[in-house]
Amino acid sequence: MDTSYLRTLKSKLLGTPAGRLVFVCNFEAENWWAEGYVGLPAPRFSAPTSVVGRMEELGVLLAGADDVLILKHPLDPGYREYLSGLGLPVPSVLVPENVRPDRSTTEDVLDSPELLRQLSALGAEGAHLLPMGTTVLEQKLTDRCGLPLAVPDAATFARVNSKIYGRRLTAAVGLRGIPGDCCESRDELAAVLRRRRPALTGGTRMVVKDAYGVSGKGLLLLDRPETADRLLRMVDRRAERTGDDRLHVVVEEWQDKSHDLNYQLTVAGDGGITLDFVKRAITENGVHKGHLMPVALTAGQRAELEHAAELVGGRLYDDGYTGIVGVDAILTTADVLYPVLEINARLNMSSYQGSVTEHCQPPGLVAFARHYPLRLPAPVGFDELAGALAPVLHRDGPERFIITCFGTVNADADRPPPFDGRLYALLVAEDQAGLTALDDAARAALAHLAPREH
Amino acid sequence: MDQGKIIAGIEQALSDVLQRPVSDLPSQTRLFEDLHLDSTSILELLMALEDTVGIEVDPENLEMSDFTSLETLATYVSANLNDDA
Repeated sequence: MDTSYLRTLKSKLLGTPAGRLVFVCNFEAENWWAEGYVGLPAPRFSAPTSVVGRMEELGVLLAGADDVLILKHPLDPGYREYLSGLGLPVPSVLVPENVRPDRSTTEDVLDSPELLRQLSALGAEGAHLLPMGTTVLEQKLTDRCGLPLAVPDAATFARVNSKIYGRRLTAAVGLRGIPGDCCESRDELAAVLRRRRPALTGGTRMVVKDAYGVSGKGLLLLDRPETADRLLRMVDRRAERTGDDRLHVVVEEWQDKSHDLNYQLTVAGDGGITLDFVKRAITENGVHKGHLMPVALTAGQRAELEHAAELVGGRLYDDGYTGIVGVDAILTTADVLYPVLEINARLNMSSYQGSVTEHCQPPGLVAFARHYPLRLPAPVGFDELAGALAPVLHRDGPERFIITCFGTVNADADRPPPFDGRLYALLVAEDQAGLTALDDAARAALAHLAPREH
Repeated sequence: MDQGKIIAGIEQALSDVLQRPVSDLPSQTRLFEDLHLDSTSILELLMALEDTVGIEVDPENLEMSDFTSLETLATYVSANLNDDA
């Protein structure tokens, strides 16, 4: 039996809690939505890593036993056995027969006739495709094999996931927006920076964000007028070189935070909107580190987020979107709640935690979903990892440490050592002190495996 | 500008971007794998290099090979400073 979380999701997307989903967790969706848009000046290359791609394995703990998960690489047998031993459902995993490291998983599927045939058969049996977010690739996949999408098409996803769209939506529905501006050309950026110059000179920091940047990426902090001048010079030189003066960014006043929050709403096919959960997001230098749940909110703050979810979901539905929506919010040190920092109309990191927390976090307990950076001299087998983590994996009492993604540990094992990996886990304890102790114990255990400061 | 000054300028720029002191790094230190630079921090680094060594570089003009290590970046900076001169 699927979790209540998954059954509810299926009901909202498919109209029935018993529907079958084929998951493809395309964490690189923003890159495809950004096609045709101009962001901050950036190198034409990116840091060589396969870790983000391997995060697709997080789908294992969201999908139900009767669902299907498409992965670029098979699930490690030791990890599968570990999950089964915990009593967690494991979906069927389908792997493209033609895989290339420089392609996304959906691109591999499109080049794999045997898998396309299997997906076509699943579609004929009534299954639906649920990507993290639909891009042109998943659109092509559904067109090629007749496996229908459970969510809207690529054009809709691209439209509603722009930060420019998010700012305009927030203003249009009358929610408290972060002070800032949208820019769609070099001249608009120049005008905004000119108008904001006195504030920058006075010590107000600004952040410039790509319309399609992901958490902590594609943004530039402006802390003085000289940095703004430099950015504009770079943008000018590029516009001169390319003859294209478009620029799709938002410029916002930096907010000193007390808490980052993340809440999820779901827009059902019939337009119904539900606030699924609110979590505290833990970030370091703008980069996502994990989620704490539940989060302590005042009644007023909760009511404000519920109101925001209704308005955001309603406008997204009017604009053709149905499905999961993650919204980042911020509570400032001045105790001001900005209910919309960013709208991510797609599955979010926290979306993948819904089923495993239902299984492993009994009411009244607290949980922390996080990842641990690793630096490894050589690939680590699952048994070796589990052995190192024995002090936290086998605890008496209510505390739990559940490995939620193993594929990311050795994702970059083909790089010259030492290479970086990530271990994703869910920690459950009776209170915050218990979580901290469990987290400390996990880090100590991992230090034996990978000698590095975390 | 001599190589020592360039390296010192790069380390100062890296300290600004990484928000921690960076000094006396081995020349083979890998910028991605060891220092964890990404596309965002490369843009910040280029801006910081304008301060520390006075070089103006557009990120689109960079090649991956320029960013392999501290040494390759120093070579790139040195070559472009000479071009400017």
